[in-house]
Amino acid sequence: MINARRHGDDARREDAAAWVVRLEAGDLGEAEAATFDAWLSAAPANAAAFDAALAVSHAYAAAADEVALALSQRRTAPVRPTNRRALVGFGVMAAAAALAVVVAPEISGPQTETYATAKGERRTVELADGSIVDLNGGARMSVSLGRDGRRVTLAEGQAVFDVAHDARRPFTVAAGDRTIRVVGTQFDVRRLGGKVSVTVARGAVEVRPAGGASGKAYRLHPGQRLDHVEGAAATRVAAAEPAEVLGWRSGRLVYRQQPLSEVIADLNQQFVTPIRVEDAELAATPISGVLVLDDQDAVIRRLALLVPISAVRSDAGVVLRRDVASDR
Amino acid sequence: MSFVPDPKGPPARPTDPLLEIYLERRANLVRFFAARTGSRAIAEDLAQELYVKLATRDPSVTAENPVALIYRVATNVMLDRARGEARAGAREAAWRRVAHASIGGEDVAEDVPADEAVASRQRLRQLVDAVAELPPQMQRAFRTHKLEGRSHAETARIMGISVKSVEKHISAALKALTEKLGR
Repeated sequence: MINARRHGDDARREDAAAWVVRLEAGDLGEAEAATFDAWLSAAPANAAAFDAALAVSHAYAAAADEVALALSQRRTAPVRPTNRRALVGFGVMAAAAALAVVVAPEISGPQTETYATAKGERRTVELADGSIVDLNGGARMSVSLGRDGRRVTLAEGQAVFDVAHDARRPFTVAAGDRTIRVVGTQFDVRRLGGKVSVTVARGAVEVRPAGGASGKAYRLHPGQRLDHVEGAAATRVAAAEPAEVLGWRSGRLVYRQQPLSEVIADLNQQFVTPIRVEDAELAATPISGVLVLDDQDAVIRRLALLVPISAVRSDAGVVLRRDVASDR
Repeated sequence: MSFVPDPKGPPARPTDPLLEIYLERRANLVRFFAARTGSRAIAEDLAQELYVKLATRDPSVTAENPVALIYRVATNVMLDRARGEARAGAREAAWRRVAHASIGGEDVAEDVPADEAVASRQRLRQLVDAVAELPPQMQRAFRTHKLEGRSHAETARIMGISVKSVEKHISAALKALTEKLGR
């Protein structure tokens, strides 16, 4: 265990490096973790020293292959030569072989499979090509895996696509009057209430107008979110935290300045009893916060902590109103 | 029926002592996750996931040492994630193997902008120089573990020294590298 009671900058840097190495080794017990926590909290300079050492460690982890190769090419290298270059050579050969051995898979005409989830149901679907789709509640999707392309239509709802690589069979997702072409691997598509949103977590996707719809095509990168109102030409691209947008898969909805109407649209995919907001101004109120999805009443109670509303229940569902009492 | 929170009822801030401790230590937990996963972004996400785990746990379960409990749950959250990521990682590697892909006859390859490429070459040189200046044993331990990806135990075997000595060499190397590269 690392001594938590030493002072001085040099000792601090020594402790910081030792903690980074201990943590990266991955076998830290909970008692030692508590000691680590106490060391970090003991002085702001401890945390800063830890961050500095961790940043350097991450820099080497990210460039490990390049640094190892460069070091092995130095004539004065005191360490035995590594076999990195041989490995690189093999990699090139393997790539060439992969290009040469292109065998068309036996697919007997594309069949269309349809998938649907009930309100509040979340489902993971593994497609025949190895791609994985997480469907949020109240979603409808059809999939056609053809010889020359993989086509998915998201008729309604929200889904995260984790796409298996197959350069010869592009993967496209149709959502309303937009088509999303997959260039990379993981992204979220949401089509609800005449609005289409696409958020990329890894890789890249292209979103373009479908079937004669107007507007520009966009290429989205990780951390970008595209919002589009169906029928309109305009499209907005903004920064988004993919982990938050994809949070629904672990039962939580994360919002940053999104209108209440969007929150309600999401909740209505989760619960059978519909929620309505009649006041247009209230519907446009921006919401920021995390909603854990359990039961509808509890979720509405937590929503009321983020925006002053009261809920009125009737046979037709739940109506949210501006809470007059807390208005003044 | 009204769902407005009772003013005498629970406030927006959590009253759960475990969540209070979590909020106090959130920055520490992000550091813990960042060291364990190698990514700040994943660390932030795991911290959020940990919060949800703690908030939705059985509240009757209490611990003598709540900090230790939080770190235990944190470790579990991370292991759960690692299992899911193993598959995603393999898929990502398949994408990376092709330098660029042509979809629908359109080349979608993207090059790193020239100024970024120059900056990253300079950075790489600094990283290489810093390692080259380390004393031989320290350098060998660091290269074998950090650059060639061997575990502490494997590094110890290759170098014929104890695991404890390997850890000492690697953390001394990291300290020296941080002093050299940190501004």
